[in-house]
Amino acid sequence: MLEIKDLHKRFGDTVALDGVSLTAAPGEVVGFVGANGAGKTTTMRIAMGVLAADSGEIVYNGAPLGVEQRRRFGYMPSERGLYPKMKTGEQVAYFGELHGMTKAEAKRSAAELLEQLNLTDRMGDFVQDLSLGNQQRVQLAVSLVHDPEVLVLDEPFSGLDPLAVDVMGTALKDRAAAGAPVIFSSHQLDLIERLCDSVVIIGNGRIIASGTVEELKDKEVKQLRISVETAEDLTARFTGTVTRDGDDYLIEDGDDQEALRIAAAAGRVTRFAYDQPTIAEIFREAVTR
Amino acid sequence: MTENSRLRGLMLVAGREIRVRGLSKSNLISLIVTVVIVGILAALPSLIGGDESDDRIGLAGDTAPAMQAQLEAMGGFNITVYDTTAEAEQAVEDETVDAAVADGSLYSLNGVGNELEVKLDAAWQTAAVQTNLSQAGLTDQEIATALTVQPLKFETLEGDGGVSSMLDYFTGLIISIIMFMMLMTPVQYIAMGVVEEKSSRIVEILLTSLKPWQLLGGKVIGLGVISLVNLIAMVAVGLGVSAATGMLSDLPEGTTSAAISSIGWWLIAFALFGTLAGGVGSLVSRQEESGSVLTPLIMSLTLSYLGAIFLLNAPTSTFAEVLSIVPPFSGIAMPTRMAITEVPAWQIGLSGVLLALAAAGALALGSQLYKRSVLYTGSRMKLTEALRRAA
Repeated sequence: MLEIKDLHKRFGDTVALDGVSLTAAPGEVVGFVGANGAGKTTTMRIAMGVLAADSGEIVYNGAPLGVEQRRRFGYMPSERGLYPKMKTGEQVAYFGELHGMTKAEAKRSAAELLEQLNLTDRMGDFVQDLSLGNQQRVQLAVSLVHDPEVLVLDEPFSGLDPLAVDVMGTALKDRAAAGAPVIFSSHQLDLIERLCDSVVIIGNGRIIASGTVEELKDKEVKQLRISVETAEDLTARFTGTVTRDGDDYLIEDGDDQEALRIAAAAGRVTRFAYDQPTIAEIFREAVTR
Repeated sequence: MTENSRLRGLMLVAGREIRVRGLSKSNLISLIVTVVIVGILAALPSLIGGDESDDRIGLAGDTAPAMQAQLEAMGGFNITVYDTTAEAEQAVEDETVDAAVADGSLYSLNGVGNELEVKLDAAWQTAAVQTNLSQAGLTDQEIATALTVQPLKFETLEGDGGVSSMLDYFTGLIISIIMFMMLMTPVQYIAMGVVEEKSSRIVEILLTSLKPWQLLGGKVIGLGVISLVNLIAMVAVGLGVSAATGMLSDLPEGTTSAAISSIGWWLIAFALFGTLAGGVGSLVSRQEESGSVLTPLIMSLTLSYLGAIFLLNAPTSTFAEVLSIVPPFSGIAMPTRMAITEVPAWQIGLSGVLLALAAAGALALGSQLYKRSVLYTGSRMKLTEALRRAA
C-alpha cells in the first residue's frame, strides 16, 4: 500500500501542492488526472524522492518510504531522458543494475523487455540513432526493467504508438494483477477509464475528487434519457427538469416510472436509460465546480 | 541504504563512464596516438645520436701509451696501437680505423665529427702533458697529483639562480604539459557529462535509485580511472622506451621518481578540479552554457600551467616556492619543480597537505552545488543562489 499523505510544497510564492493525499492499494490502478500545472508532476516527483516536500509524508506498507524500497519502484518522469550515446540494450540493463539487479538478471530482463517492444535488433544501436517513438519504448523498458514493486508513471502514454500503448497498458495491468500499486497520470481520459480502478482528480494543488470509477459516476447528477417515436412535444408533461438533446428528453429529479408511462402512452419508446457520465465529463465537471 | 549498495551504486556509475567514455573509439584512438607520439619522443635522442658503436682509433708514437690510457678512461673507443706513424696512416686509408693520432697529428679520411674531435683533443692535451712530465723525470704519482684538478664548483649568490640543464628543463616541461592535459581533458568531460544528464533529464530517473554524491562521485572516479590509465600508459611507454634505448641513465637524476610521484600529485589535483567541475556543471541546463561556468576553473588550470612553465626558468626562486605550495597551482607546479630541482621535504609535505585540504574542500563544495542544482532546470543558476538553496 502506497500512501501519499498531506503534501505541501511551495515554489517561491507559488503554492504547488496544498495538502495532497492519495492512496494506492496493492493491485489497484490509480489514474491521476488534472489540468496542466495542477500539481501531478510535483506530487509524483515527491513520491519518488527527487523533490522534497515542505511537509507531508510518503508511507509504504505502513512505514515511511526509504531509499532502499524506492529503488524497487518503477518511475517514468514526465520529461523523458536517456543517454544518447549509450547502446540500447546496455542502457536498459544499466538501469536494471542501478535498481539492484545482478548483471546477469539485468541483461536477461532487458533482452526480454526489448523483445516485447520489437527492439531486439536495435539493442546494439546508440539510443540517439533510434526514432523518437522507439526512444519512447526504450524509456518504457527502463522503467519496467527491474520488475518494479510499485509503478509511478507520469504521462506514460504520451507519445506512444498504439503498439506501445498496448504494451504499456498490459504492463500496468500485469503489475497490478501481481499485487503492485500503480499510479499514473494521463490526459487521455479514455485510457484512464479503461485501465483504472480508481481516479484522483487534482486542481490547483488540491485533490478535488477521488474514488473508484463507479463511485465517481454515481456521485454525478443522474439524467434520465428517453427517446419516444411521437410527433407530440412531451416536455410540459414530464415532471422534474426537462431538457431536449436532439429528439431525446433529458429528465433530472423526475419520477422515472411516471415518465415511462407518459412516454409509452405517447408512442414507441426506443430508449429509456440513465446516462453514464464519462470520466471526461466528471473531470470537466470537477475542475469547473 | 547499506554500505554495500552505496558502494555498488558508486561503482556502477564509474563503470558506466569507463565503458561509455573510456572504451569509446575516440578515446582509444587518441590514447594510441598519444602513446605512439610519446614513444617516438622518448626514442628520438638515441635515433638522432646515430649508431652507438665505438669509434675505432689508431695510435702511434711516444704519446701512444698515455693516449690509450686517456681514451680508455673516457670509454667508447676501440683502440689499436701501431708501431709506426706510417702504419697508423695506412690503417686510416684502409678504413681499418676511423682516425689515428700519431706524433701530434690527427689522421682521418674526411675529418672527424665535432664531438670526436673535442674528445681526442682533450685526450691529446692530457697525454702530451703526461708524456712531457714523464720525460722530465717525474714519477707517475707526481704526475697524477699535478694533473688532478677539482672541477669548478658552482656557487649561486642570487636566489633565483639554479640554472637547470636543457635536459632538466625538458623533463620539467613534459611533466607540466602532461599534468595540464591530464587535468584539462577529464575536467571538461566531467562537466559535459553532468550537463548531458541534466539536459537530457535522465538525472531524474537516476536520482530515484542513486544519491547525488554517488552520481557525481562515480563520474569523477570513472573519468579519473580513464585518465589514470592514459597517464600510466604514457609514463610507462616513455620510461620503457628510454630504458630500451639506453637513455634512462642519461636522464636527470630523479626523473623516474618524479614521473611516478607526478601520478600522486595528479590524483589530488584531479579530485580538486574534477569535483568542482561537476558542481559548477550542474548550475547550467544546456551544453552551450557550460563554457561560462567552467571559465574560472579553466583559467586557474591554465594559470597553474603557465606558472609551472615560468618556474622552469627559476626553480629555486621565491615565486617558484610559493607557487608550488599554494593550491590549486601546486598541483602542477610542485611535480614540475620536483623534476628539475631538489625540493626541501617540508615544502613537499606542506604542499601535499594544503592541496589535499583544498581537494577535500572542493569535494564538499562541488557535491553541495551539485546536490542543490542538479534538478533545477531553466536558465543558469547563480552560484550564490545555489549555495543559498536548501538541498
